[in-house]
Amino acid sequence: MNSQYAIETVHLKKTYRGKAVPTLDDLCLRIPYGSLFGLLAPNGAGKTTAINVICGLRRFDGGAVFVGGHSIATEMKAVKPLLGLVPQEIALFPSLTARENLKIFGGLNGLSGSKLNSRVDELLTLFDLTQSRDTIIGHFSGGMKRRINLIAGMLHSPRILILDEPTVGVDAQSRKLILDKLLEINRSGTTILFISHYLEEAEEICSEVAFMDRGTILCQGNPSRLKAGYSECPNLESLYLTLTGKKMRDHHE
Amino acid sequence: MNKLKYLLYKDFLLLIRDVAGLLLMFLMPVILVVLMTLLQDSTLNVVKDTHVPLLLVNNDKGELGKIIEEEITRTGIFDVTGLVKGRKPGLEELEKEVASSHYMMGIYIPENTTESIRANVAEYVLAAFSGEEEMPPIKKVDLTVFIDPTTKTSFFTAVTSTLQEKAQKVQFEFILSQMTEQVNNMSPIPFNTKGFTGDQVNIEIRNARLEGKDIVPNSVQHNVPAWSLFAIFFIVVSLAGSIIREREGGSFSRLLTMPCSYTEYLLSKALVFTLVALIQFAIMLLMGMYVLPYFGLESLNPGTSFPALFILALSCAFAAIGYGIAIGNLARTDQQSSVFGAISVVIMAAVGGVWVPSFLMSDVMKNISLLSPMHWGLSGFYDIFLRDAGVVAILPESAALFGFGAVCFALAVGYNHKYRIDI
Repeated sequence: MNSQYAIETVHLKKTYRGKAVPTLDDLCLRIPYGSLFGLLAPNGAGKTTAINVICGLRRFDGGAVFVGGHSIATEMKAVKPLLGLVPQEIALFPSLTARENLKIFGGLNGLSGSKLNSRVDELLTLFDLTQSRDTIIGHFSGGMKRRINLIAGMLHSPRILILDEPTVGVDAQSRKLILDKLLEINRSGTTILFISHYLEEAEEICSEVAFMDRGTILCQGNPSRLKAGYSECPNLESLYLTLTGKKMRDHHE
Repeated sequence: MNKLKYLLYKDFLLLIRDVAGLLLMFLMPVILVVLMTLLQDSTLNVVKDTHVPLLLVNNDKGELGKIIEEEITRTGIFDVTGLVKGRKPGLEELEKEVASSHYMMGIYIPENTTESIRANVAEYVLAAFSGEEEMPPIKKVDLTVFIDPTTKTSFFTAVTSTLQEKAQKVQFEFILSQMTEQVNNMSPIPFNTKGFTGDQVNIEIRNARLEGKDIVPNSVQHNVPAWSLFAIFFIVVSLAGSIIREREGGSFSRLLTMPCSYTEYLLSKALVFTLVALIQFAIMLLMGMYVLPYFGLESLNPGTSFPALFILALSCAFAAIGYGIAIGNLARTDQQSSVFGAISVVIMAAVGGVWVPSFLMSDVMKNISLLSPMHWGLSGFYDIFLRDAGVVAILPESAALFGFGAVCFALAVGYNHKYRIDI
C-alpha cells in the first residue's frame, strides 16, 4: 500500500442497522503526511462516523482504511500509537485533576516516569494551564476544558492528530491560542485532521480541505485553488453552501 | 503491564472521588446487616416467646391429672391457665371459652380419672391372675380436648400425643404395681418393681453438624453472608454506571484509541471492584464477629477454613463484577443501567434467599432459587459457617459463580468486538 498518505480511506462503506441510507457511501479520502487537513461538512454528513471508523471505534461494511500505511482491519496495534484523538465532547474524567487526567492518558500512550511528568508540565505551560494543574476538571471553564482535552490527545506526540471541532464553545482568546498551537504542532511535522463548522478557521489554518456530504467527498484540495475553481465564491463558506446547499440538515444518530 | 498500571490508577482515583458511590458500597451494607439481623432476631424471639393459650381444667386428684398438667406446661408451647374468673370451669363453659377464641385449646380431665384407671387395671389384673377366661368390661375414661379451628395441626398433635403417652405411662405403672402385688401374694420371694417407670427410651434432638463443632444456625449466620452477598452484587450499580459514564463522556472512546485493549480496560475495572468487594466482605465479617454482639446478638463463627472463605468471597465478587460489566456494556444509559442493575440484584437477592432463607421457601420457590447466583453464594457460606466446611465442599458453588462471571465477561467482550476493532 502506498504510504504517502497519513490517512487513506478506499471506497469506505458503512450503513447503520435499521437505516436505509448509508452513512458512509464510497468514501475516498486521502490526507497527505504533514498536512493540516480540514474536513468540512454539514450536520449528519457522516464525518463523526468517518473519524470513528478511522480510529477503530466503529466497524465498517466495505472498503478499506489505512493509517500510516497500516490497514486498521488487520494492523490496529500498529495504528494506535500513530493516532491522537481529540473528540468533540470533553473526553476527560471530571472528578480528577488536570494533572491526573493527563498522567493517565500519557501513561496509556506509553509514556512513564519523568518523561511523562515533563511532557505534562511542558504542555500545561504551552497552553497556559500550569496554575490550574491540580484543580479538578469539573471546576474548569469551558475554554480550559477544551485546552486540556486537546493536550490529552497530543501528549504522546502522535504523528497524526484528529481534532473534532476543537474550538466549539470557547472564547476568542482560547480559540486563538488553540489555533496558534495547532499551527505550531503542524509545522513540527504532525499531520492534523481538523473538523470544524467554523469555515473561516479552516480557511485560516488548513493547507488542504475536503467537503463531505451524504457520506462521500464532494471535492478536495488547497482552499485557494478550490475557490479559484468557483469564481462566484469569494470564500470557503460560500463555496461550502454552493456545494452542500442551503437546506437545513437536522439529523438523528 | 504499564498500561494496566495507569488504568488501575484511573479506576482507583475515580472510585475514591465518588463519595456517594463509596457510601452506597460500604455504609449501606453495614446499616443493612445490623438492621436486618436485629429485625430478624427480634422476630424470631417474638415467635419463640408467643405461647398458645390453653385452658386446662384438671378435676382429677390423682397422678394422671398431675402428670398431664406438668407435661403440657413443660413443652413450653402453651400458656396454661386452669381457672376462668377465679374458678374451675365446667365442660360446657370450657367449650364456650375455646369457641369464643379466648383460648386456642381446652383440655378437660374429669374427676377421679386416675381412680377409674386404677380400678380398671385392678379388676383386669385380678381377673387375669384368677384364670378367668373372659376379661371384665373396661369402664372408659373420657379426656376431652377442644380446639379452635385456626389452631395449627402441630399444636393439637403435640397435645394429643402428650395425653396418650402419659395415660399409657400411668396405666403401665398401675398394671406393673398390681401385678407385683399379686405375685408377692403368691410367691415367697419378694418381687420388687419399685422405681421402674418404663422410661427407657430417650429421644435426643441435635443439630446436624460435622466433627462435633457446636454451631447452631442463628440470624447472624444467615444475615451476615446474605447481606454481604447483596452488597457485593450491588456493586453492579456503581460498576455499570462508571462504564456508561465513561462511554457517554467520551473518555471511553479516547481510551480505546490508545494502545490498550478493551480486555485490559475491563480487567482494570474488575480488579479495582474485586478489591472493593473483598473489603466489603471483610468489613461485614468483622461486623458479624465483633460488632453485632454489642447489639445483643450472637457472634459470628467464621469457621476454620480461611482459604474456603477467601475463595468463595472471591468467586462471589467475580460473578458480581462480570454481571456489572455485562450490564455496563448492554445498557444504553446510566439511568437504564442503574434501574435495571438495582432491580435485578434485588430480585436475585429475593429469589436467592437473602431475605427469607431458601430452606423456608415452598418447593417451587426452592427450585427457582437454584437459578440465583446469590443462592449459590449463600449455600457456600452456610457450608462454611454452619457446617465448618473446607475448600473442597465449596468448590461446586465457587465454580458456578466463576462460570457465571466468565459468561458475563465474555458477553461484554463479544459485544464490544461486534462493534469495534480491538487490538
